[in-house]
Amino acid sequence: MYKATIGLEVHCELTTKSKNFSMAPNQFSSIPNEHVSTIDLGLPGILPVANKEACEKALFTAMALHCENPDEIIFDRKNYFYPDLPKGYQITQVTKPMGKHGYLDIFVDGKMKRVEIHQLHLEEDTASLEHTMKYSLIDYNRSGVPLIEIVTEPCIESAEEAVIFLEDLRDIFLYLGVSEARSNYGQMRCDVNISLREEGSKTLGTKVEMKNINAFTSVKAAIEYEIKRQSEILDKGEKVVQETRRIAEDGKTYAMREKVDALDYKYFVEPNIPPIPLTEEYLTGLKKRLPKLKLERYLTYVEEYQIGQQEAQVLSKERMLSDYFEEVLSYGADIELTVNFMTSAILSTLNKLEISPQDLWITPKMLCGLITYVKDGKISLDHAKKILYQSIEEKVDPLDLIKKENISQIHDEKTLLAFIQQAMSQNREQVRQYIEEGNVHVINFFIGQVMKLSNRQANPNKSLELIKEELERRKNNEK
Amino acid sequence: MYRGKSITELRELLDKKEITGEELFEKAITLAHFFQDDYNSFVTILEQTKVKESDSMLNGIPYSLKDNFSTRGILTTSSSNILKDYVPVYDATVYKKLKKAGALLVGKTVLDELAMGGTGTTGHTGVVKNPWDKERMIGGSSAGSAASVALGIVPFSIGSDTGDSVRKPAAFGGIVGFKPTYGRISRYGLFAFASSLDHVAIMTRNVKDAAIVTDVLKGKDPLDMVTIESEKENYADMLDQEVKGKKLFYIKEVCGKNIYQTSEDAMLKETIQKFHETLEECKKLGFTIEEVSVEKALLEALYPAYMCISCAEATSNNANLTGVQFGTRKEGNTVEEMMLHTRTEGFSELIKRRFVLGSYILQKENQEKLFLNACRVRRMIVDQINTFFQTYDGMIAPCSGGVAPSFDSTSEKLSDRYLILENHMVIGNFGGFPSITIPYGMIQNLPIGLNITGRVKEDAQVLNMAYQIEKITGMKNIYAKVGDIDV
Amino acid sequence: MIEKEKLKKYAHLLMFDMEEKEYETLQEEFEIILKQMELIEKIPNIKKVSPMTFPFINEDAQLREDEVGDYLTVSEVLENAKYQVQDQVKVPKVVDSDV
Repeated sequence: MYKATIGLEVHCELTTKSKNFSMAPNQFSSIPNEHVSTIDLGLPGILPVANKEACEKALFTAMALHCENPDEIIFDRKNYFYPDLPKGYQITQVTKPMGKHGYLDIFVDGKMKRVEIHQLHLEEDTASLEHTMKYSLIDYNRSGVPLIEIVTEPCIESAEEAVIFLEDLRDIFLYLGVSEARSNYGQMRCDVNISLREEGSKTLGTKVEMKNINAFTSVKAAIEYEIKRQSEILDKGEKVVQETRRIAEDGKTYAMREKVDALDYKYFVEPNIPPIPLTEEYLTGLKKRLPKLKLERYLTYVEEYQIGQQEAQVLSKERMLSDYFEEVLSYGADIELTVNFMTSAILSTLNKLEISPQDLWITPKMLCGLITYVKDGKISLDHAKKILYQSIEEKVDPLDLIKKENISQIHDEKTLLAFIQQAMSQNREQVRQYIEEGNVHVINFFIGQVMKLSNRQANPNKSLELIKEELERRKNNEK
Repeated sequence: MYRGKSITELRELLDKKEITGEELFEKAITLAHFFQDDYNSFVTILEQTKVKESDSMLNGIPYSLKDNFSTRGILTTSSSNILKDYVPVYDATVYKKLKKAGALLVGKTVLDELAMGGTGTTGHTGVVKNPWDKERMIGGSSAGSAASVALGIVPFSIGSDTGDSVRKPAAFGGIVGFKPTYGRISRYGLFAFASSLDHVAIMTRNVKDAAIVTDVLKGKDPLDMVTIESEKENYADMLDQEVKGKKLFYIKEVCGKNIYQTSEDAMLKETIQKFHETLEECKKLGFTIEEVSVEKALLEALYPAYMCISCAEATSNNANLTGVQFGTRKEGNTVEEMMLHTRTEGFSELIKRRFVLGSYILQKENQEKLFLNACRVRRMIVDQINTFFQTYDGMIAPCSGGVAPSFDSTSEKLSDRYLILENHMVIGNFGGFPSITIPYGMIQNLPIGLNITGRVKEDAQVLNMAYQIEKITGMKNIYAKVGDIDV
Repeated sequence: MIEKEKLKKYAHLLMFDMEEKEYETLQEEFEIILKQMELIEKIPNIKKVSPMTFPFINEDAQLREDEVGDYLTVSEVLENAKYQVQDQVKVPKVVDSDV
């Protein structure tokens, strides 16, 4: 048996208004070369001007991953020639990355696993190339988009762990609001390093690298395929070749043509960006803005609130839903009922309307009010849910709806009875059916009649009760 | 009535409406064309101008701009074949400011290819000649800029100074060359040579004009992160301050009175002697001047350290010249082949040698010993000079060991000779110090220059001291009175 | 002395080639500069000095606020490219692209 050792390099584009070193929009566009400045095009004489928001988001993410932050912001140049790199160098961070020595705890089969983060740094994306059989085309829209790269230590042991790590990492990006992390747009992509070693052996095997995988399912497929492929090689007593491979659509990996000697990137400090000191005060202030993350919330829900694991997972996965949920609780709502409302009516409404909790018409405070009515036995759970839907549709506070119902409805037995008598004298045939044939469906018919006669003001529950009584009374009288 | 006139003099004529900007421009281009064949100052001479209304001192004043500043719609070649047809789509901040001030661009001047050189002989359009003697070079890399001012074609020119690329040719041309503090003037749109050493610098025929131009160009630019805040006051208004009691030093190992005693170079001896005579005159102005000593090994390290840092940065800065998105592209079957052909044919031999050197210096296995050691030398020398600046207001030195060299005397190959005296002005770039060259005498009818360097951000004081010293040199507003032309 | 072959390799990595004679000149230059840099290594205490990248500490330096500003039109982006197809810059095929 072999054990896999996996390291990931995750790239994620940051959400900002402008690019990392230029003021061109950082916005996806299907029109080629629409969002390009002199700087993104690497024209002679241009200078980079670093984006504060991008720096902060990188630092923020590093903090969320428990990294150590540097004492100043510094960038370096990575020098190599490639047609998608207009300056002939990429501005990145080597000397002082935004984060070092961090970790992310993930849950694998109910057990906590710590994935060590080697470093997190801020850099710029390249232009995009499109290849035809005869030539290649360059679109510079992506050139200069802020990108963070997160490098894990080689401490991941399976495809499953890798995917959970990536999913949790994406949830963190979304929680922090630093990126939309849509892998289908290439906003989040990763390189995978994988080697196999004999179970029990401490020496790592030969490392194979797989570059630029977008979808998490492809990561899983690639790792599983590589484990199988390398195991077969080792079983035959052969050696795994150190190389870069790519994953194809068939889920298999193929060796890429590569230059023989490793590239020397000739890194040096970017001289056009003077060091920007990061004071303790500044970093502490930034840290204070860090929200509670998924894992912490999940644990609170399960351990403190005694919520079931599945519900806790649903409620902690997205920050906005979780924030909404916690706000409802903060007004003193019953936990069990809130979980019930959140995982049924609220979630289904959100899905149906395709909106986020923040755009929901019902505020957490209103929801708490409704839940409290249920808790106090003032209305039934089913009725409360109906009120909730009605409230969302009519954009009226649910408690107002309930009040309105109470005020306008006719509860008075005498009045209701008068309506019932009138209805029955006008529909003798239906009364006969009840008495002689025992047809209970006529009850609903009479409710309809009473509602009509009362201009829909009759309280349905009360009316139902009285109709039943009246029909029974008449039946007994017949006898 | 135009040629050789200073900014101040032309300002007066313009203000009195004795002449218009258009007329000045016409005269300037007439001169530019007249001298072009003999001296080759320009890559491009403009055909027309548009005079703008502004209350700037430079309104209506003609000038020339080194051909490594990006000018929208105007050919900008950096004197290299790889950019021989390149017409930028954007303006350098410096050019934008001058346009706004209403200064009139006469032409783009020849430089050493990509500003990497000190002779004015390596531009793709040919050699620039010294207006004082056509058999001699003017020095570089801002060669055409220096020649255009020394010929009296324009009262000022904008160049760039990475080692001494403005101050050296200024000295050989008998004019003023001022490199302000690093970051005083925006480098946005200046084609980078070595970013940590590159300065925008100014050439004029007197110190006051240099101050006037600096006043227009100085200031923080959101497009260049290294720019610094500048005073609101005009440097041109601070030139008359008292220099009595100001303290200057010179480095014995650079220009001590007796260190070249045994040399057989008569020119060198005369240069040093004249320098010390000037120092005596300066003392009469009230300056205190003292000799200090610096470890010779450190001074000898200046040039190799400069080569390492500048070539390393230059390889990276010029990696955008591949013919992909701009530049003179050569064909190839693959993109790699295309880049290879473009760069092979686009760069001259000298540039390629510098790039290989620079890239070798940055290689992983050499970086510590070469690049980082060079950066350490840089800190050592800058720290040393800053220590002197705690006691002294400025450093003074001759710019060179003699007059402009003749074309057959030197090559651009690296050499052991004159390691210190010919290269000390790079200290100004290492530390970003404001540094000015002014002419201080003639030897064999050729000008020689002296250099004053001051504390970082004290541009006003450097200009002030130079302005006072200029008064005793008798070399203010000189130009090479060659050519049978009267405009 | 650095072998010519090595220098050729370095030049090719920088995407250009040189004449045989030019490599020889380059060899001589390397001799000189490396000799000079060896002298630098002997400067007392040099290893204790931290390498200098910036001429001085710039207290005025600041990061840019995240705002959209000037950028180029599509035609400006393409203006200096020799060949264009569908508003993109056209280059010969990238060999190791593995499409």
